[in-house]
Amino acid sequence: MTRDRVAKLSLYAILCAGLLVVVGPFLWMLLSSFKPEADIRSVPPTWWPSTWTLDHYRDLFDRLDFPQYFANSAIVAVLVTAGNLLFCSLLGYALAKLDFPGRKALFLTVLGMLMVPGMVTFVPQFVLVSNLGLANTYAGLVLPFLAGPFGVFLMRQFLLAIPDDLIEAARVDGAGEWRIFWRVVLPLCKPALATLGILTFLSSWNNFLWPLVVATTDDKYTLPVALALYAIGQNRIYYGLLLAGAVVVVVPVLIVFLALQRHFMRGIATTGLK
Amino acid sequence: MRYRWLAVATSAALVASMAAGCGRDSGGGQEAAKDVAEGKASGEITVWAMGTEGEKLGEFAKAFTAENPDAKVSVTAVPWDSAGQKITSAIAAKATPDVSMIGTTMQGEIAKTGALDPTPTDLFQKDSFFPGAWDTTVVDDTAYGVPWYVETRGIFYRTDLAQKAGFPDGPKTWDDLKAMAKAMQTKAGAKWGVNLQPGKTGSWQSILPFGWSNGAEINSDDKYTFDTPQMTEALTYYQSFFSEKLSPTNLPEGALEPAFAKGEIGAFMSGPWHVGILNEQGVKGKFAVAPMPSKQSSTSFIGGSNIAVFKDAKNRDAAWKFLQWLSKPDVQAKWYQTVSDLPAVQSAWDDTALSGDPMLKVFGEQLKSAKAPPAFPTWTQLAATFDVEAEKVCVGGSDPAAALKAVQSQADSIGTGS
Repeated sequence: MTRDRVAKLSLYAILCAGLLVVVGPFLWMLLSSFKPEADIRSVPPTWWPSTWTLDHYRDLFDRLDFPQYFANSAIVAVLVTAGNLLFCSLLGYALAKLDFPGRKALFLTVLGMLMVPGMVTFVPQFVLVSNLGLANTYAGLVLPFLAGPFGVFLMRQFLLAIPDDLIEAARVDGAGEWRIFWRVVLPLCKPALATLGILTFLSSWNNFLWPLVVATTDDKYTLPVALALYAIGQNRIYYGLLLAGAVVVVVPVLIVFLALQRHFMRGIATTGLK
Repeated sequence: MRYRWLAVATSAALVASMAAGCGRDSGGGQEAAKDVAEGKASGEITVWAMGTEGEKLGEFAKAFTAENPDAKVSVTAVPWDSAGQKITSAIAAKATPDVSMIGTTMQGEIAKTGALDPTPTDLFQKDSFFPGAWDTTVVDDTAYGVPWYVETRGIFYRTDLAQKAGFPDGPKTWDDLKAMAKAMQTKAGAKWGVNLQPGKTGSWQSILPFGWSNGAEINSDDKYTFDTPQMTEALTYYQSFFSEKLSPTNLPEGALEPAFAKGEIGAFMSGPWHVGILNEQGVKGKFAVAPMPSKQSSTSFIGGSNIAVFKDAKNRDAAWKFLQWLSKPDVQAKWYQTVSDLPAVQSAWDDTALSGDPMLKVFGEQLKSAKAPPAFPTWTQLAATFDVEAEKVCVGGSDPAAALKAVQSQADSIGTGS
């Protein structure tokens, strides 16, 4: 009995320590966003604000056209996520379950694309978007990210585990290919879709360089770009503004994560099994 | 400057590849500037400006459009972070605005792509700007754009501690700086006499002024010259502050100002923006600024930003007229009052807002002789090497002469890029 309790207690102690390491920086970010600038810079760093101030938040909402940037970020992230869920699962399904000439070559191409660092394709991609007349448009912000090799790979790997018999059975029952995909395969993919969804949303929400370069007027900036504009100066960083902005930027991600958490966990568990 | 190493590295690589492949390379020779048509400016002028300048310029430019009713100035504020990447990508896609602000240290690589329009000689007088600032616009003997605002470095010191240390007027010479730093620790209770940047990104901006003050030049014509006896002596002097425990080698980011406020650090080297930060920290009235301590001369670093017109500008003549307006002394003085940018035009300093401030006066004097590194296209790459070697010297205690030799051999192998 006592041995069990000791084991349990030490387990909780370890978990708490781990939690502290993970949550600590976020907690500091949250608390510090209410501190005066001098307080944030104090060494050694303090947890509790010596005086509470809302100045940074006021600054943030006064100086930034916040609703505009928030809307831009949300539009881009939602469209990119939706596109990835659709296209990556379609291609992943084709690569995993359909037999067609060149399937292997196509899969190898996808794998090859995974190995190319984004920096290499960055400028050609921008030149392309610009020549298509899409600079400074939502299309320019969204289109290049609608599908990605990582998502295709993830979906294919997950789809491989779905038994062929299930698809065969649907075919025997007279379902067309589209119907099989929508009604049989996709519902089984929820965990993988949730995983892909949150990863895509996160990377799109946090993307900085692409929106910075594509948007040529401030009204197309996304949140990270706007935040960098106001919080990072030529020779100094405005920590208060930066931290307040970071808090506000993190909230939507937290909401998406909590909403998908159940599926997400299962997704990780199942991908781990294989 | 410190936070942009990644952007600088990527844009440097980018520009190198563009200069090789784009075929619009400025070619290495002098380029002739076209004159600008007479009359008032008209049409839309699109401008990119970074940070605070971008935030405030649109409103400020209303005075220009009042004088030129047919013109419209559209300003896009661009974050400092990765600004170089944005500009070079726009150049690659031929999607540039008419005008862009260009940080002085980016000037060489951007001008080298051939995308900037040479400065029309009929509109601007070289002599009206600080000479060091004008030099930052010149690449291959051609000026591209004009200096917009400047900044330079001096020694910030606690007046109360300096008094106790026996230097009530601050340090005047190299020997003074060393003696004051020592006395601040022994007589005035400071933990560190003076804070100097121990290598790392941007440290060349602190180290080169000591070299220049010792008569060193880091380039002669079209060659880098790092491993000179004068530069070695300067770096040895700089290193001694760390080896004699007068300067900290591992001060965390953001720790300088609070430590200075508490009197733990007696002095540090920095630029005009620190006046505002220190006042926020509650040290107002307890500090002063001294010019660079002199050896053969007192020569500091000149930084800031230029503003240039692109060759692909849709509204070139109006763009240059806008820049001409920005360079007027009274407009420059008014711009200082708007965003605290120090004027690049010398006569703007006669304005009482500038000449009446004792701390600004120090910077103003310093600016007359301050220097910038050459606007060679490879400069940002080389600066990164310099910073790494400087860190080995300051923190690791390696031999200054060997470090400079390493920088020089890197310089010899990549060349100036012109």
